[in-house]
Amino acid sequence: MKPEELQKLPPEVYKELEEVVGPENISEEPALLDGYAWQPTFNSSPDLWVPRCAAAVLPGSTEEVQAVVRICNKHNILYKAHSTGWGTFNAVKAGGIVLDMRRMNRIVEIDEKNMYAVVEPYVSGISLQAELLSRGLNCHMIGAGCGASLLASATSGVGDGWDGISMSYSPRNVLGVEWVLPDGELLQMGSLGSHGTWFSGDGPGPSLRGAMRGWCGAFGGLGVFTRVAVKIFNWPANGDHRSEGLMFDYLPPLPENLKVFMVVFRDRGSFAEGMYKIGEAEIGYIQCRNALGMILGGALPRFQRKLPGVPAMVEMLKSMQFCLTHIIAANSPRELAYQEKALRAIALDSEAFVLDMGQLPLGGLLFWGLVKDSLPPLIFRIGGQFSSVFGHDETWDSSILLNRVGQEIKQKWIDRDGMIDDLADNAWMFLQEDGMWTHCEELILYDPREEKHVRSVNNAIAEAMISAVEHCQGPGFMLLNPMVRRMLSPMMSHYNFWTKKLKKEFDPLGLSDDVAYCSEEDVEEADIDLENMTFDIPPEELARIFEERISVIPAPREMAQ
Amino acid sequence: MAVKAVEDLKERLAGIVGETSVNDDRNDLLQYARPDGDGHLPTCVVRPVNPEQVTALVVLANETGLNLVPVSSGPPHARGGTAPESGAVMVDLSAMDRIVRMDRRNKVAIVEPGVTFGRLASEASKVGLKALMPLLPRQRKSVLASYLEREPIIIPKYHWDATDPLLCMEVVFGTGDMFRTGSAAGPGSLEQQWEHGEAQKNPMGPGQTDFGRLVQGAQGTMGIVTWGSVKLEVMPSEHRIYFVNDSLERLIEFAYPVLRRKMADEFLILDGTAFATTMRGGAAEIGDLAGRIPGYVLVLGISGYEYFPGERVTYLVNDMADLAKEAGVALTRSAAGVDHLEAERALSGPSGEPYYKHRMKGGSRDLFFLTTLDRVPAFTAAMESLAQEHGHPVGEIGTYIQPIQHGRTVHLEFDIYFDPGSAKDAARAGGLFSAAAKACQEMGGFFSRPYGPWADMAFEACPDTVDALLKVKRVLDPRGVMNRNKLCFKEA
Repeated sequence: MKPEELQKLPPEVYKELEEVVGPENISEEPALLDGYAWQPTFNSSPDLWVPRCAAAVLPGSTEEVQAVVRICNKHNILYKAHSTGWGTFNAVKAGGIVLDMRRMNRIVEIDEKNMYAVVEPYVSGISLQAELLSRGLNCHMIGAGCGASLLASATSGVGDGWDGISMSYSPRNVLGVEWVLPDGELLQMGSLGSHGTWFSGDGPGPSLRGAMRGWCGAFGGLGVFTRVAVKIFNWPANGDHRSEGLMFDYLPPLPENLKVFMVVFRDRGSFAEGMYKIGEAEIGYIQCRNALGMILGGALPRFQRKLPGVPAMVEMLKSMQFCLTHIIAANSPRELAYQEKALRAIALDSEAFVLDMGQLPLGGLLFWGLVKDSLPPLIFRIGGQFSSVFGHDETWDSSILLNRVGQEIKQKWIDRDGMIDDLADNAWMFLQEDGMWTHCEELILYDPREEKHVRSVNNAIAEAMISAVEHCQGPGFMLLNPMVRRMLSPMMSHYNFWTKKLKKEFDPLGLSDDVAYCSEEDVEEADIDLENMTFDIPPEELARIFEERISVIPAPREMAQ
Repeated sequence: MAVKAVEDLKERLAGIVGETSVNDDRNDLLQYARPDGDGHLPTCVVRPVNPEQVTALVVLANETGLNLVPVSSGPPHARGGTAPESGAVMVDLSAMDRIVRMDRRNKVAIVEPGVTFGRLASEASKVGLKALMPLLPRQRKSVLASYLEREPIIIPKYHWDATDPLLCMEVVFGTGDMFRTGSAAGPGSLEQQWEHGEAQKNPMGPGQTDFGRLVQGAQGTMGIVTWGSVKLEVMPSEHRIYFVNDSLERLIEFAYPVLRRKMADEFLILDGTAFATTMRGGAAEIGDLAGRIPGYVLVLGISGYEYFPGERVTYLVNDMADLAKEAGVALTRSAAGVDHLEAERALSGPSGEPYYKHRMKGGSRDLFFLTTLDRVPAFTAAMESLAQEHGHPVGEIGTYIQPIQHGRTVHLEFDIYFDPGSAKDAARAGGLFSAAAKACQEMGGFFSRPYGPWADMAFEACPDTVDALLKVKRVLDPRGVMNRNKLCFKEA
């Protein structure tokens, strides 16, 4: 029997697993398993469920993870681990088992001097940050929100966040890694493997971080990561930062030497120029461009729904379309004065104006919402669901280009009532590493109960992917889709040919579920409703775009043979 | 190799690169061998001029079982990463020396393997950018070779991750297949990407594998890189060098908060000997200066950019002075008679001749590894003790401490100076080198980029890493044609 045909574990396999983790840490109860199958986010299927797994196993240690993986190898069982488990890519294919890593939730070590922390899979950003802020340190938080696993984004997921200007990107923040390989063997990467220390993840020789993940990770397709050392960063504020009250009903003060600004640029051109200058000036701690439609919708979703009926208000908001939220976190009053002066001068030169949000009632909420990464869940208030396209990380000019393209695509579908009107331009954009590169993804808000919305969103996603290819931009999140990998790998140096070969070496039985990693699927085989796709791109135009973007790099010789 | 076999081989190689680009003249081959005379001479050297020729060479190696050793920098090749095995063919990439693109707006250049730091720095400065350099690279040191070897740069605030400042690459894998890493992979050719505002700046991927990391640190065992995009930074509008001369312990106390806040540009710590070799030319001057420096010298740079450069420098100097006071040290504009202008000149380009490590005695055995700043004093003490045991003057060892990755890790380097004309001196230095390597490894020094005999020691400590690297090697160079017997890739 093929692994994916298995619906229920054979009793002897269940018993073996139970002996490893204990009876209280394994289940095949349908009601419990359906908890894992409810995955509405990034789910293109209208029913919002994914296949029910055969069992859920909760290992409590690296040794237990190894034992579970070895049992899977022995009995030909598919498996996939997840940490905080958000999004359809956490689902294992039918017949597989889920390794729910929630019992491994310890902060193993915080090295304050050398600025790293060692965490297990179920440590969220907010739980580590709570330990760090009082020590004058902070950690990179990702766009998925403060409840997301740090380890998952560092080893297996994506990992962009609005602190990217000062705290980079999850995969760039990885040091030592403890990794249970797909066959159950343990790999301790970097200095961890040589000396049991966590300060370096690269070497000896070539860095195996390259096999672990690239721009994105294997999403559970290459074994299980059990501990990781992540970089931590400076947090210049002193004191206790407790606030009373709930979201939208508290007015927390800003710490000394930290400020939050809104910088409103005149147009896309001035936004482009101004951001290059901000990067070169090396100012800023957290920053992102969230469109006003997004901010408004998160705070006042009912008003947002009525917005299309108030054209004057729409026009007014659109005049502030290119609005940057920018936090300065200075180590001294001198530094604060310098950074603020530089920011204001750049704004002036870029035809922008600056609002000191700390002077307004919502300033504290905005500041702490960004620092603590507590704002992302607000996106669900607007229509109940969202999707995201592009996920592009390159120059600021290319992000600006995608920002325009994304707006054009979305406006068309908004005009057809195919998604929520968020003023169309809802690109989430920011600088990474003082502007060394940048991030741009276009958010799509919709109501999953509306069949028309679901259909339109799938169309818009497909169009965005094609448009990204046409404009020579990486397809970003779309590479999690087996069908997209099949289509686009030939345009990207045939990268997936090599990734599949690595997969075969590390996982010869192919049991670590690779649906979001490297497996491929033909369009004809894919689970998409082609009849309901209403592409606005004629087939001949599509063929032309793909033809023009076929890689100049020849196909691997082995592939050609 | 038999004479006829060599002639046949040369003919086939000449069919790829042209007759004049194949050479087996012994004098020419000597430059690729280890300067200490250990090891072998290659059979011949080929000098390709484009990626197509490189690809054809690797394809030929796959057909015939040749051992190709890529090399980009000029001699001497002291560490042994490119030291050839018997019968090897050197692939000398120094003729591929174009700066393919210089992009001021996006602070990036694309360079071929033959581009040296001097050239890159010169071209970058014409558009207001600066190259990110290791400490005084050799005049003929290839930028790409240095970055591929993960050599540390002297500005830790621009070193975000181990791969920096290298971004994307074009590489011919050991299979003979060409590949582009990161965002350079596509969609689109380089020219098409440029038209759409891209600049080959994202080093990760493409997709779910970071191929660049598998090639970097590989000493040419995975493939041959034909170009790479590299980070550049803005040339400061104002720049000042400061010194802090004190005990190592106090410098470390001062260093931690400065590094954490990313306040400094250049930031490196040298003992008296290393400081003197970087700042002075002759042995006598070096000895004199080293003798006048108690403890260690921290050299740091402070920059102001386009907006209010003077004000930026002023606030940083004042904030640093506060931190210095807390640590009980002082920022100065000169150290033992070396003023800031001399240091500025010394650090702004490649080493003058002779190479700075050869100025004291003519030769150097360089031992380096990664550790953390707080562990450095234990290593320096151990090194001093070992030097005494081996009868090597402590004053003839240069100690260089280079924080990387914003100070989370340091590259710690001991340069053991010796007179290459004296067999006794060389043997003593070699003995100390071997003992120190073993001791540092046992103390937790991490040999992340090991060469020659260190590689055996480093890989013995991590058999799980070796197993995983062999898997990667089977994918990218299954026939083992690239730089055979290096790192953990030993022939059975």
